[in-house]
Amino acid sequence: MKQKSDQVEGKDDIILAGKGLCKGFPGVWEHLILDHIDIDVKAGEIHALLGENGAGKTVIANCLSGFYTLSEGQIYVKGKPVTLKSPGDGIRHGIGMVHQELALVKPFTVAQNIALGLSTSDLSFPLPEVENRVRELSENYRLYIDPLARVEDLSAGEQQRAEIIKVLYHDPEILILDEPTSLISADAEHLFEALNNMAKMGYGILFITHKIEEALAVGDRVTILRLGKSMGTRETAKTDKTELVKLMFGEHTPAQLERKPVKSNNIVLDVENLEALAANEEPALQGVSFFIREGEILGFAGISGNGQSELAEVITGMRRATKGQVIIHGKDYTNHAPREIIRAGVAHIPEKRRAMGVIEPMTAAENVVLKDIRLSPFSKGSFLNKSQITRHTKEIVSRFGALVSDLWKSQTRILSGGNIQRLILGRETWRMPRCLVAVYPTQGLDAKAIDHTWELFMRLREEGSSILLVSEDLDEIMALSDRIAVMSKGRIVGIFEGGEAKREEIGLMIATGASKA
Amino acid sequence: MGFSANIGELTKTIIAGVIGFAVGALIIMLYGYDPISAYQALFNGAFGDLYSFSESLANASPLILTALTFAIGFRGGMFNIGAEGQLYLGALATVAVSFFHLPSAMGFALSLICAVLAGAIWSLPVAILKATRGVHEVISTIMLNWISQFLCFYLIAKILVDPQRAEKTISVAQGVRIPLLVPGTSLSYGIFLSFFAAIIVYLLLWRTVMGFDIRATGHNPLAATYAGIEKWKIILFVFITGGLTAGLAGAVHVMGRPPVYAIYSGMPSIRGLGFEGLAVAMIGRNHPIGIIFAAIFFGGLLAGGRMMQLSAHVPLEMVRVVEGIVVLFLAIPELVQLLSFLRKIRPPLIFRSKRSQDEDRRRL
Amino acid sequence: MNLAYLWGIFLGSLHAMVPITLTATGEVIGESAGLFNIGLEGIILLSAMTGALGAEAAGPSVGFLVGLGTGFAIGLIFGLVCTYFKGVQLIAGVGINLFSAGLVTFWLIHLGVPGHHAVAEESQMVNISTRYGDFSPMIFVAIALPVLIYILLFRTKLGLKIRAVGENPQAADVAGINIHLLRLLSTAAGASLAGLAGAYISVNWLGSVTKEISAGRGFIALATVVFSGLNPLLVLLGGFIFGFFDNLAVWVATMPAVQKVIPWQFVAMAPYAVTLLVVTGVIGRARFPAAMGIPYGRE
Repeated sequence: MKQKSDQVEGKDDIILAGKGLCKGFPGVWEHLILDHIDIDVKAGEIHALLGENGAGKTVIANCLSGFYTLSEGQIYVKGKPVTLKSPGDGIRHGIGMVHQELALVKPFTVAQNIALGLSTSDLSFPLPEVENRVRELSENYRLYIDPLARVEDLSAGEQQRAEIIKVLYHDPEILILDEPTSLISADAEHLFEALNNMAKMGYGILFITHKIEEALAVGDRVTILRLGKSMGTRETAKTDKTELVKLMFGEHTPAQLERKPVKSNNIVLDVENLEALAANEEPALQGVSFFIREGEILGFAGISGNGQSELAEVITGMRRATKGQVIIHGKDYTNHAPREIIRAGVAHIPEKRRAMGVIEPMTAAENVVLKDIRLSPFSKGSFLNKSQITRHTKEIVSRFGALVSDLWKSQTRILSGGNIQRLILGRETWRMPRCLVAVYPTQGLDAKAIDHTWELFMRLREEGSSILLVSEDLDEIMALSDRIAVMSKGRIVGIFEGGEAKREEIGLMIATGASKA
Repeated sequence: MGFSANIGELTKTIIAGVIGFAVGALIIMLYGYDPISAYQALFNGAFGDLYSFSESLANASPLILTALTFAIGFRGGMFNIGAEGQLYLGALATVAVSFFHLPSAMGFALSLICAVLAGAIWSLPVAILKATRGVHEVISTIMLNWISQFLCFYLIAKILVDPQRAEKTISVAQGVRIPLLVPGTSLSYGIFLSFFAAIIVYLLLWRTVMGFDIRATGHNPLAATYAGIEKWKIILFVFITGGLTAGLAGAVHVMGRPPVYAIYSGMPSIRGLGFEGLAVAMIGRNHPIGIIFAAIFFGGLLAGGRMMQLSAHVPLEMVRVVEGIVVLFLAIPELVQLLSFLRKIRPPLIFRSKRSQDEDRRRL
Repeated sequence: MNLAYLWGIFLGSLHAMVPITLTATGEVIGESAGLFNIGLEGIILLSAMTGALGAEAAGPSVGFLVGLGTGFAIGLIFGLVCTYFKGVQLIAGVGINLFSAGLVTFWLIHLGVPGHHAVAEESQMVNISTRYGDFSPMIFVAIALPVLIYILLFRTKLGLKIRAVGENPQAADVAGINIHLLRLLSTAAGASLAGLAGAYISVNWLGSVTKEISAGRGFIALATVVFSGLNPLLVLLGGFIFGFFDNLAVWVATMPAVQKVIPWQFVAMAPYAVTLLVVTGVIGRARFPAAMGIPYGRE
């Protein structure tokens, strides 16, 4: 068991520091993911790294642990500059990282998973020692786990405990945890207790989260990240929720677009008690109910990862609902094939535009008619009508301002994200869909394109389309929505009428996940 | 298909071809032969005169069809290597029709129909198992290929055997044989059937809705589902169509190949046509037009191989060696990029560049 | 049907089992690491040739070594293409099959004998004679090896690493394992066993090299691997079963009485039909490593 308190000179000793950290993915992202970030972690402290998704938290953690290499900047461990080229390097320098997406081999036992990373001889069979040590660590840190259990049989919380023990096994001095409570909700208390113990023992802990309450509860200091830039570091004793919300989300006066009140009372989309599982088999939707009327925009605010993606997927037929109903225009479409839902008039601007929204190796024209190709005039019988497709694509391209060099020759892959999104917008909205599910529709677009999109949505709304809008941009939600729903942990924790919504109130609800009082 | 995309594919094929021939030359030299005269004879024997060219085309004929089987599957994102088993049954179905003495026109039509049906039926289990139980088509096609082979051995030896010459099946009836295009060669009008099939597949893939759906699924199954495409329909269609062309390959071969118009026990003349078709498909970049050229090229190598053997005394199997190496290199998706990468970097490839390692990890 | 007859069948099955078991055991290693090598057939064929030549040059043991080495070399090439170069495993494997078929036939012709090369008697491995028949020492190797590989895969850290790389390469990467290198070596090691099998066929069992000498055993080995669910001990069982049918088919072909009931072709079909049933879930559940067949680094 680690007894580092005798070695620690003082609680002000900086054990891990990063100066001017930059990371970009040239060719994939147009801007830097990490933009000249300075950060430090002291021995014996829990330092929270707070920010929305896309702020760069996971990336910086990966850089600090050696999983990614930095584009620029320097990392210091205990004052000495180090270069980390692989996770092995990180481990060697005493940095242990617990990933958000657990790096465990499912069919193996906990002990086997840990044995994997040991530097013992390949012909050894160290399982007995590993099992013992795991039990020992389990006791000491009060993270109870059975070393002989197979990972795939464990609950998410137990898996995470296993992952933490796996990291602790290598006696790190620095611990980085990436969103550790995203999977475990009930066990968070135990985890915090364990972390506090470790801090007392002299570990330096970097705790990444998007939940303000956690940061305040467990952190000694908190650094706020927004869009790859550091917004500053505060001592948690000297700050509060309000300040943190401001730093996380920024201060903007919401621009409410001119709108006529919602005319109709016809319900276009009715979702009742929807339940569904996420990709990792944990519950993603835990009883979601709402409705959208004709000509209404319902905005879903909140940090991604609270079920919004899964909700959109279930409604559009891309994910199975385990309970509940999706009713479109009075007809039950729960778990129907995507084709039928498309025919029912549901358009979908997907979250993953390159992976799902378009087929990158195909041409622009092919992508524009991706969903409509079966319809005349784009095809007659079984045969494609190229001239009609070309005409239509030209119209869409010009109407939506997409910069496309040619329609039939180059792959869509080479287009920028913004242009791809314009094509998708054009494709999904040209026919005034009855219901449009738009998930992060303006992500990565420039200001002019965002304006364009907002105008488009308002126009669709005028013509009677219902829009389910998911966005992390609170400005956007507040500007466009007739009503605003906040999702947290797979449930809707509050629905606001457009007029009565106050930005801070919503921001707080998003960041804390607390239900509307 | 975009023009620029095709250039890239062509470059890759040419590079792989050059490497293949280079290694072949190396081996030829190692055995004390002269690669120049060998390759000269090879090309002469392939395309030198009408006779050679006809032989090349005759060889190409079934290869186009079995290549189409693989290519359609590949375009749909699947590995259909079942052409072997399907073509055997197609060939035997053709022979079986001659068992019944039917009037020529009817026999001809029926032979073709039974052959393509046989191929399609043999591909059904693969499609159904994949669509319902997710069975990987590589395993199921391999197994079915072998089951088909033994089944055909039995049919050849016991049911369709020629009463006068036990080592072969009965010959296809006179009226059912495809007439020769160039007398004195092996080339029959069947080559037009192959061309025709290739054109149909081209039109299918790039001019119909189903073809669009197939290509979309092959590129990105998730996006295809998002777009409303139903995967099981694609699976079924791709495998059945592949089975049709493979069955046709068997028919065209038996009905168009002088002098015997029959299958010998052990099936030496059709053995391997399926796997060769795979190679042709790869070399032709899984595009029907490319396949036609690749098949003619390949058929030419086989024909020219004989000449190479005669005049330069290099055994014709060298052709298969070259083929194997070309296919091996074509397996590398970024071959062109890889080679230019090699020119820039000194250290061994064991240590891959940091950036590409990051790209790998970023996928998490 | 007397005892000697039964012994004959039993021994015949054992002999036929050797190449299948060896190859399949090797492929289990490779597939556990995530690479599916359809080129086994070509490797066996090529090693039969090189092994025979090695044996003629310097004795049967050298022949075996040369066969092993050939398998290793081809396995390295295949591995390089499929790991570092991110090649498509299936296509690379087919390339190897074509290449080997061509090279062996080429070689045979070059050696002057059209299509058939009998390995000289003195170059062949000497079998142990007992009163029940001749045992090849390789039979013992073929039985011991799956057990050893089982221990390797399931009772050592190296085995953990190999299986991790096949199941969840990202987790293995995080644990500091060099994915590409491990996959490369695993597949090369597996291929070397296929090479050994090839040498066995030419230097020991059948004593000759023809262009058909591998006779589909590479594919039977693949089927055996599926049947075994990547458990080397089950490979031993599967290898014996397949070897039994392989041998039985030959025997049935020589027995007209039996032929009337079951033609040998249907006996020969049996292993493949059984594998198909296994794979479709009718018998057992074939479970492959989650990341098998997928070049690491790509989606």
